[in-house]
Parts: sequence; C-alpha cells; structure tokens
Amino acid sequence: MGTRGLHLAVISLLLLGVMVAGCAKRPATTAASGAGRSAPAPSGSPAAGAPGSSSASNPSGAPRPVPSEFVAVRDLQDIHFDFDRYDIRPDDAKMLDANAAWLKANADRLVLIEGHCDQRGTNEYNLALGERRAKSTMNYLVSQGVQANRITIISYGEERPLCTEQSETCWAQNRRAHFLVKSR
Amino acid sequence: MRRTSVIVVIGVLALALAVVAPPWPRTPAPRAQGVDVYINVTGGGAKKLNIAVPEFTVIAGTDTAGLGKLLASVAGNDLTFSGLFSVVAGTGAIPPNSPDARGQLWSEFAAAGAHAALHGLLALRGDRLETEMRLYDLTTPEHRLIAAKKFEGATAQPRRLAHKIADQVVLQFTGELGIADTKIAYVQGPAGAKEVWMSDYDGVNPAPATRNGSINLMPVWSPDGRSLAITSFMQGYPDLYRIFPFERRPVQTLASFVGINSSPAWSPDGRYLALTLSKDGNPEIYVLAVATGTLRRLTRHAGIDTEPTWSPTGQQIAFVSDRNGQPHIHVMDPDGANIREITSGGFHTQPRWSPKGDTIVYTQRQGTHDLWAVSPDGSNPRRLTAGPGDNQGAGWAPNARHLAFQSNRLGRWQLFAMLFDGSPPTQISQGVEDRTSPSWSPRLP
Repeated sequence: MGTRGLHLAVISLLLLGVMVAGCAKRPATTAASGAGRSAPAPSGSPAAGAPGSSSASNPSGAPRPVPSEFVAVRDLQDIHFDFDRYDIRPDDAKMLDANAAWLKANADRLVLIEGHCDQRGTNEYNLALGERRAKSTMNYLVSQGVQANRITIISYGEERPLCTEQSETCWAQNRRAHFLVKSR
Repeated sequence: MRRTSVIVVIGVLALALAVVAPPWPRTPAPRAQGVDVYINVTGGGAKKLNIAVPEFTVIAGTDTAGLGKLLASVAGNDLTFSGLFSVVAGTGAIPPNSPDARGQLWSEFAAAGAHAALHGLLALRGDRLETEMRLYDLTTPEHRLIAAKKFEGATAQPRRLAHKIADQVVLQFTGELGIADTKIAYVQGPAGAKEVWMSDYDGVNPAPATRNGSINLMPVWSPDGRSLAITSFMQGYPDLYRIFPFERRPVQTLASFVGINSSPAWSPDGRYLALTLSKDGNPEIYVLAVATGTLRRLTRHAGIDTEPTWSPTGQQIAFVSDRNGQPHIHVMDPDGANIREITSGGFHTQPRWSPKGDTIVYTQRQGTHDLWAVSPDGSNPRRLTAGPGDNQGAGWAPNARHLAFQSNRLGRWQLFAMLFDGSPPTQISQGVEDRTSPSWSPRLP
C-alpha cells in the first residue's frame, strides 16, 4: 500500500522532470537563431580596416607596413618595464634618448616598436599591456623629436618571449620594447 | 523483501529530490510559455543517482568494431562527468529481443544498488548508425520504461551518438540537456607558433582549426556553434577573424584596425561582438555589429580596458580595467554607461559571465593564478581553485555547471574541466605541447 504510493510519487517526479524538460528546450532554440545566416559574405570583411574609421594612430589611413620587412639594428637598444607597468623608467629614458638620436640621424628609416610582456598574467591582458608599452615608448620618442609618421607599433603580448624560464631574471628580460627598422 | 524495496524507493525519492529540487518548496504548474528551469544542482557533494549502463545490443548489422561496448562506455563516462550519476559497475549483455534476459540483468543491477538503467539498441547500416536509447526505473518492480528516444548519425562518429544519448539521460533527470555533445576550442603550440585546435568536450578527436603558421589566440565560439572568433597575427598584426571549422568557408576578417584587435565576446544573440581595439590610442572596448560592421565605442579611459564578456541577457558587459591601479573586473551597461568596479584588492583578469547569469568567474594573480568567482554586483567573491600551479583562462560549459580552464599543475599547460563547485578537475587534453585558452562550444546543432 505504502510502497505503491511511493512508486507513484517517484513516477510523478520523473514525469515532472520530463514535462519541465519539454519547456526547458525553448530558450535554447531562440538563442540558436544567431548571426550565422545573416553574417556577411566571406569577402565582405565589413570592419576590416575601413579607411577613415582608423583614426588617431593612423591619421592617413595608409596601409600598415609589413612587420616581417623590419630588421633589428645594433644601434637601437631594448628598454624594459616593471611588472604590470608601462611607464618609462629613468634609466631606460636615457637609452631612449640614444635611440631617438640615432633615429633622427637616420631619417630614411622607419621604425617598428614591439611591445612585449612576460608570460605571467593572462594573454588577453598582456596583449593590451604590450600595446601600452609600445605606445609609451613611441610617445617618448616623439617627445624627443622623432616624427610620429615614421613609427609603427605592434603588441605581441606574451607571445614572443626572449626566454622561457620561470625566474624573475627571465621575466624581466621579456618585459621589453624592441626596435626594428626598415628603409622608407 | 517488501521492506527493502520501500527503503530503496525512499532513497531514490530523496535522491530524485536532491537532483531536481527547485528553490521553491512546491513545484509550480508548468505555464504555457516556456518556464525557466532553476536546478540547484552542482554535483560533487550532492548525492548521485546510481545508473547501470550495460553494453548496447546490436539489433542489425555486424558489430566488428565493438561499437556496442564503445557506446555504453562513452555514455557511461559522460554520465560520470556530469557529476549527477554514479555508473554501477557490472557486466552483462542483453541479447536482442530478450525481455526476460533484460529483466534478469536489471534485477541484478538493482540488487547492486542501481536506481536506473540505460540500455541502447544499435543498428549498423553501412555508413549510418541508428540507436535507440531506453531509460528504465529500476526501483519499480516492473522496471518501468522512463524514456525512449532514437538517434541517428554517421558510423564514422560513433562517440557523438553516445554523447547525445548521455545528454538525453541528463535531460530526463534534470530538465536540461547534458553537455557531452559539445566541442572545446583551444590554442596549441609553442610560443610564436600557436594554432587554434578543437576536440570533443572530453578531449577526444583533436583536430586543427587553423594552420597558418602564425600566432593564433583566444578562440571564442559563436552562440550558434558554427564559427569561432579568433585573434591572429596571420597578416602580421593582431587582428580579429572569424573561422568556420565545420564548413569549407574562407576566413572572414572581423577587425583589422591599427593597433590591437582582440578579446572577442559574442553577444548572446550572436549579432554583436564586444572587442578590444587600440585604434584610438589605447585599448578600449567597442561593440561591432557583425552584419554591418558598424562600430560603437563603449569605454573612454587612458588606462587599459579589455576582455569584455556579456551577461546572458545582453543587458550588461563585464570587462577588465586598470583605471584604478591594478586590473580589476568592472561591469557596464551595453552602451558603456554606468561603469562600476566589482572586484578590488588584487590583480584580476579574464572575466567570464556564467550562461545562467548569476556568477562571473575570473582569474586572480597572487604569485600564481587561480580561478575565483564573484556575483555580478560584486558580492561573494570566492576562490574556486587553490593550485597546484597556475589555474586560469576559464570557459563556461553551456550548462553553467562545468568550467574548462588551463593549468600547468603537471608541468606543461593542459586543459582541465571541473564542476563549478570546485570538485577535483579532470584533465581533458594530453600531449607534449602547451594547450591553453579553452572555449566551450554551445550545444551543437
């Protein structure tokens, strides 16, 4: 008698599960009616560097130079950053002064500034941090008289470390701005 | 005898309640419109339903590949992974058309503590596989049939059928489909040569999704499960692309402005991407209308603003900003208004809004990295992992109960998955190369 009642209770619970399940599917299907089909054709590339919409750091809307065409030169030295910082340290400012002097003396060269991070932190944030490091470096060079239109910046975040050991010495080497040049 | 069955039934009743218990004391009558199901199950500490999953029975064709055993094993592993079930050990096969043999086996499993049994019928028809899953209540003397459902798929992808069956079992007991029929996209490779890969949710069937020899980062599944937004250096700079891993379709450029184009986050309806661009001077958050390319700037601050993540309603966006010093998690309206900081006193990145909306998981750096969770209003910050090594880069499963993340606890970066309640993680990737940045797909179409 009691057993039968409990069986019924179990059955009704399971039935309830089935009923609830039927309803639960609904939100899933609305969520699935997403971008896919209304997405632009592959060639559309709507936001792809539309000239005019890229302002500030590329006022002319000129095509970006190809990073692989730039090479390192002995005269331009890396500068380094404190952990999670993108301000220029006093000692590194002196190195940037020397880099600025060389760039002004070699006015036929374009410069690519790479911003890098150590592998601590997370790679999304480090991509932004590397950008800020390259940007502060660029701003310093411009303040020293290097023409802004000779400078391109790129962030590699933590993706191109100089060394991969887990030590402060190694991390400190990786937190850097690196300089590459090519002829105009 | 009778007494025993009563005890078993009471036990099952308690378990069933534990599994499906909604927060309200009495279940409301289902409304005509779809009802939100609030299942307060986190697995782990919760009691589990004991389920028997014997070898599937082949009713047509010749099973030279041992699919009957494979499907039962895969479905069993899926049910274990769900955190809701304990698979009862035992062997035994049910011959075709043998209800007596089946009843005998169910009685044995019931005696071994099983509350339910999953049985599959399998028909091998060339390159197609047909299965019928049957779910039995072993607490009833007649082993009542709870549910039956047919699935069909490619013989070349037998595991996928098992995943669908397991997801159906989870649906029957919780009101929500399981997450076994999903993929995980991730990044694999050494520094400077990373490609996007994807595998089944359990790490099986890994395959490359990009092969451009560049640096490819941060894959994020679109809500329809058909495409991934990725950041790639394939054109030299960190630009944002969309790839279609299941289709022969060219890569689509989403954003290639001067500066960084990164951290894509799909709006819940898939029509918009929140992203980070530095084209206006420093990393800021924008929203891109995917169909038209219209861009709207949300943040304006000299600091770093990055890593947007949408609430499931699309009414809020969480992001990382170092505007107050160290990077912390902030929340804003989708038009950029009403910015407020919800974490403080630490180094916080990688916010990921739960698909159920009530939690934001993030990474805290404190020497090493660990996963934390916080309510969207900033209350109840709590730790989810405590080492070993670094544990970061979380991606929510669509059930909002599981998380994938990367950990170097065993040396190299590998992918792990765990229940949100902090149960011990399961390693889901294997190999000598680093594997990072998991993105858990929606339930696949």
